[in-house]
Amino acid sequence: MSGRTGQLAVSLALLAFGVALAVGTWFLPNTTGYAQVGPRLFPGLIAGGTILFGVLLVTQALLTGFKNTPESSDPTIEGASVNWPAVAWLSAGGMAQMVLIAHLGFILTSTVVFFAAARAFGSRRPLRDLLLGFVLATVVYFLFTRALTLSLPWGSLMPGEF
Amino acid sequence: MEALTLLGQGFSVALTLQNLLWCLLGCTLGTAIGVLPGVGPALTIALLLPATAKLDPTGALIMFAGIYYGGMFGGSTTAILLNTPGESASIVTALEGNQMAKRGRAGPALATAAIGSCVAGTIATLLLTLLAPVVVDLALKFGPAEYFALMVLAFTTVSTVLGASALRGFAGLFLGLAIGLVGIDAITAQPRFAMGVPELLDGIDVVIVAVGLFAVGETLYLAAYQGNRTETVEKLSGSIWMSGADWARSWKAWLRGTAIGFPFGSIPAGGAEIPTFLSYAAEKKLSKHPEEFGKGAIEGVAGPEAANNASSTGSLVPLLTLGLPTSATAAIILAAFQQFGLQPGPTLFSSQPDLVWGLIASLYIGNVMLLVLNLPMVGLWVRLLTIPRPLLYGGILLFATLGAYGLRQSWFDLLLLYLIGVVGCIMRRHDFPIAPVIIGLILGPLAEQQFRRALSISQGDMSVFVTHPISATLLGVAALVVVVPWGLWWFRRDRTK
Repeated sequence: MSGRTGQLAVSLALLAFGVALAVGTWFLPNTTGYAQVGPRLFPGLIAGGTILFGVLLVTQALLTGFKNTPESSDPTIEGASVNWPAVAWLSAGGMAQMVLIAHLGFILTSTVVFFAAARAFGSRRPLRDLLLGFVLATVVYFLFTRALTLSLPWGSLMPGEF
Repeated sequence: MEALTLLGQGFSVALTLQNLLWCLLGCTLGTAIGVLPGVGPALTIALLLPATAKLDPTGALIMFAGIYYGGMFGGSTTAILLNTPGESASIVTALEGNQMAKRGRAGPALATAAIGSCVAGTIATLLLTLLAPVVVDLALKFGPAEYFALMVLAFTTVSTVLGASALRGFAGLFLGLAIGLVGIDAITAQPRFAMGVPELLDGIDVVIVAVGLFAVGETLYLAAYQGNRTETVEKLSGSIWMSGADWARSWKAWLRGTAIGFPFGSIPAGGAEIPTFLSYAAEKKLSKHPEEFGKGAIEGVAGPEAANNASSTGSLVPLLTLGLPTSATAAIILAAFQQFGLQPGPTLFSSQPDLVWGLIASLYIGNVMLLVLNLPMVGLWVRLLTIPRPLLYGGILLFATLGAYGLRQSWFDLLLLYLIGVVGCIMRRHDFPIAPVIIGLILGPLAEQQFRRALSISQGDMSVFVTHPISATLLGVAALVVVVPWGLWWFRRDRTK
């Protein structure tokens, strides 16, 4: 997606978000009571502001393009294509963790996230990454659950219980 | 002189062994994350919020303050040796600092940055000590209408100043304000925008938003667009000490930088970037060696570094006395106060004097600690720069999970984290500033409270915001902040035609 098309898409998304907010506000029950102003007025103002800046950005994207972007000083970014495999690795790591963290626990799923992120940034040493991720996740797990009071999942399918 | 008595009391809190250790831990962490590219103080404090919820508030806040200004110290190291500013406030430092490093003068550049930061930080803390009680007295006269007007002013300045375009700044602000609406309305207990999802009834936690935008968004952006770009770290060779001539050229720049930075930090004018640019321009104009600028002039490092530290300390004035954050990091610190059930503002000074003055006293101690941590041990911090990017970002994402999942052990938070990360990546791609989102999210609900309180007192009469003189003035200034740059733009456009 070229810079200008992307700018238009982002601006339209903001505008749509503003409209959605306005619709959501419209359907809020208005319980004012003693407070004079209910829970609708402030969201209404924010929806209005979001729509206003959405419209202004759409106009700017159509007429001149965004002002003072990195592209205007560094044209190499303009043509930069998205490295989809890297995005896919990161997303896959995140999704796997989302699904598995309660069952396999913080340590194993974080090892996977670490491995996937290293891979996304071009690492080609899977064994080192897995090992480093595992060691880091283990240290962090015990540091934060023992020295500090955070609770992190050990994992329902994991042997033992810490 | 009442302030000095209270400060003495503060020192008795800050000098306990436990709080000294929190301060040291904060300063060390702050320096490390300041040096590391891709990790900033706002992200670090956000990550630590869930893990510190059950700690003693004084100790935790002393640590967060250490991270806050430690990040400023560490950021200059990255700017000088790598020419990649770790913090936006170090952009100017990179101009001259990296040139000095290329000419084998990395040592004096790092020294003038560290000593200048310490000098500026100490003077600024002294000014904070003296100024805070004055602002508190003033703030006690503020009603809800005045507070609301003050917040509107902060919203407009952070949106117009923190970023390349006011339009995109406001877009970010409103996104943050909208996220802040989700959840149960504090006054009527009415759920809003929760879309029937039980997890959303508590609202979207600031930890998820900050970590999603700063850590996940940044990682996605770099992976998607920059891949495996390599950077060169300048060697740290020769003496790290400054010569007599370096001292002679630095000390005035430190003081001028402090004088420029502190006022900018203490009014809601948004961030530490502008004073660093002003300080750089001033040093260039006043220097006896203007020809050296662009080739490694030491004043060009000394002034801006002092300015950015003075400004970040200065921004603690509105944060502590008014509860008004003027940068993303200050907003996260405000969230830290809220996590302990504390609301910064004039009443905090009377209800929690030990905490507030202990925190201020710890700033003096932290500045000295940071000088010791940074100068003799700079070689150690430089080694952090050699961590390969795949491992660095692997680690960042691991900690991001820790912060997000540690909140309440819900997979839904990980989903939100990822989605907000995607939004952050798109914002980064099109150069939308992140700070207004964070400030809108944290300050929005407080602004709504004051807004509704003001209208409830005035029986729903909207004119209350313009009939109160202080409120009307603040709103007027906010309008000027938006209108004046537009006016100038129109004026210039007409002239060039």
